Amino acid sequence: MDRPAGVFDIRYEQDMAVVRTGPQWGLLIGFLILLAVLPLFAGSYFLGFMILTGISLVAVLGLNILTGYAGQISIGHQAFVAVGAYTTAVLMDSFHWNFWATVPLAGIAAAAAGVLFGLPSFRLKMLYLAMSTLAAQFIIIAFFGHAFPDYFHAVSGIRVDRPELAGIDFRNNEAFYYVVTGTAVLMTFVAKNLVRSRLGRAFVAVRDNDLAGEVIGINVARYKLYAFAIGCFYAGIAGALHATYFRSVNPRQFPFEVSIWYLGCLIVGGMGTNVGAVFGVLFLRSIKELVTFVSPILGEMVSPINAPKIGPALGLISWALVVILFLIFEPRGLAHTWEVLKSRFRHWPFKYAI
Amino acid sequence: MAIFLQFIAGGLFFGGMYTLIALGIVIIYKSTRVFNFAQGWMVTLGAFMLVTLVEKLGVVAGVIAGLAFGALLGLGIDRLLMRPLIGQPLVAALLLTIMLAEVFEGINILAWGTFGYDMPVQLPGASIKLGEVVISHALLWGIGVALVGFAAFSFFYWRTPIGRVMRATAEDHQVAQGLGLPVRGVFSLSWVLAGLLSVIAGLFLGVVSGVHYLMYGALLGALAVVLLGGLDSIAGAIVGGMILGVVQSLVTGYLSPALADVVPFIVLLLILIIKPYGLFGLVRIERL
Repeated sequence: MDRPAGVFDIRYEQDMAVVRTGPQWGLLIGFLILLAVLPLFAGSYFLGFMILTGISLVAVLGLNILTGYAGQISIGHQAFVAVGAYTTAVLMDSFHWNFWATVPLAGIAAAAAGVLFGLPSFRLKMLYLAMSTLAAQFIIIAFFGHAFPDYFHAVSGIRVDRPELAGIDFRNNEAFYYVVTGTAVLMTFVAKNLVRSRLGRAFVAVRDNDLAGEVIGINVARYKLYAFAIGCFYAGIAGALHATYFRSVNPRQFPFEVSIWYLGCLIVGGMGTNVGAVFGVLFLRSIKELVTFVSPILGEMVSPINAPKIGPALGLISWALVVILFLIFEPRGLAHTWEVLKSRFRHWPFKYAI
Repeated sequence: MAIFLQFIAGGLFFGGMYTLIALGIVIIYKSTRVFNFAQGWMVTLGAFMLVTLVEKLGVVAGVIAGLAFGALLGLGIDRLLMRPLIGQPLVAALLLTIMLAEVFEGINILAWGTFGYDMPVQLPGASIKLGEVVISHALLWGIGVALVGFAAFSFFYWRTPIGRVMRATAEDHQVAQGLGLPVRGVFSLSWVLAGLLSVIAGLFLGVVSGVHYLMYGALLGALAVVLLGGLDSIAGAIVGGMILGVVQSLVTGYLSPALADVVPFIVLLLILIIKPYGLFGLVRIERL
């Protein structure tokens, strides 16, 4: 770990600290203040962008723990987001629970579903396990689409009201932004610290060499299930926010593409780094917005008849191509680029960076 | 009874299509250890391409051009996308094919839109009647082509010199390379064969049920077939394909079509829990 000249650790707490120096504290607090005051001058469009980014970020952080750290590829993450969303929606709609009480339950329900579909991981790894999560995606979404029509209302969708707390009405996006951002910051903090703990190191051992991990005393099967539980807990929380942000839940909101999009965010950002999850989500979300902005103009220019279909098509092609380019040319993702940049900055004007 | 046989015939047809798609995945997996997640999307792209080419060039020339397109598609994927990944972990290749699937879906929507097409190909012959069972000739063609394709590939793989090179490569890349065998050529050949198979499957699926950009949804079942039969088993592709096709058809007929869509994934989960390496797959023993 690089650090500026003249900074020495003389206590273990200093050595373990995430934020080490005065300037780092300054930057962190400045960033949090920036996040806090953003609604004051951001337009409603940008606010919506930030809310969606925050929700995706929570889901991708979970996927990062599951896929990036523990090495269990999941191509059905959006299904676990759906479990969270449906838990919140059904509890609020059919049982009249308070939103805030449903959020932890949404996480726990998604974690339970994750453990259920992670059970094959006792004997399987890699590709085979990815297939199990693929099955999770389609079975869970079909379950919400066809089972219990009295509760799930698959055709009309479930309506969800935004919550209220201490006199603040979260029905406007300015207030709801704080809910999402607060959750995202909290979840990032938890994820950052989780992977530095005993649990996180065990995950990395399982990912890098499960047999060696088993030999040094890690119960591989159990830690794989922990990874599923924690990763899917994040997905469930994201689902609860998703349900309340869109104010309705139906099975079509959770397509297979989004599961792959989450995985793409992880690849673009850099697997197994939390900062990568943030970069990846921001990057791919920006591309999505750019395409939504550009494609109508492009459609008018090229062929007005085909204009409506250019948007979704270009959306898919652009982000998937970006991910492919990252896989080929920068498999370590934006997180690595960021490290290189920081190192360059530190060593300037000398050239011997990483 | 007649209805039952009708469902069996329909199931065998879809089983045949599953076989063709699964065979493509198995060929690539055996020789390159890459799992081609995008095979179903390649079928969709091939079917769309056939629709356009047959309309432009006529049936015979169109189908030949379509097959050429399939071969080029496979070759292109191998040369442009897979070769730069040699030396990286296999996960990267798997992730790349997943992303490739999304690119193909985007291309399909961009070029052909979100509505369905009919495949402008009339297969010769007429539907036959066995007692009360009416079996459409398209189904017979599909089943027949799947069987012939399977037999032809088996012959090629087990009895020809090139097949022997492919088998050697499947056994061990480094040893094959060391013996002077064209390993990279085998990789390319596998992708070309998979591309051809995907266009053939696209042709018959298109004739029977039309071409639509969401076609891949039905084709994801082929992934279950591959795992059911065993990832590295060629015989498993046809046995697994037929089993899954018939089961799915019977569930559609007797239980509910909504459940039938999920049947491949339930089979997938069961096989993963009970017998992860499939019916005929090779159980790999890991050593430290």
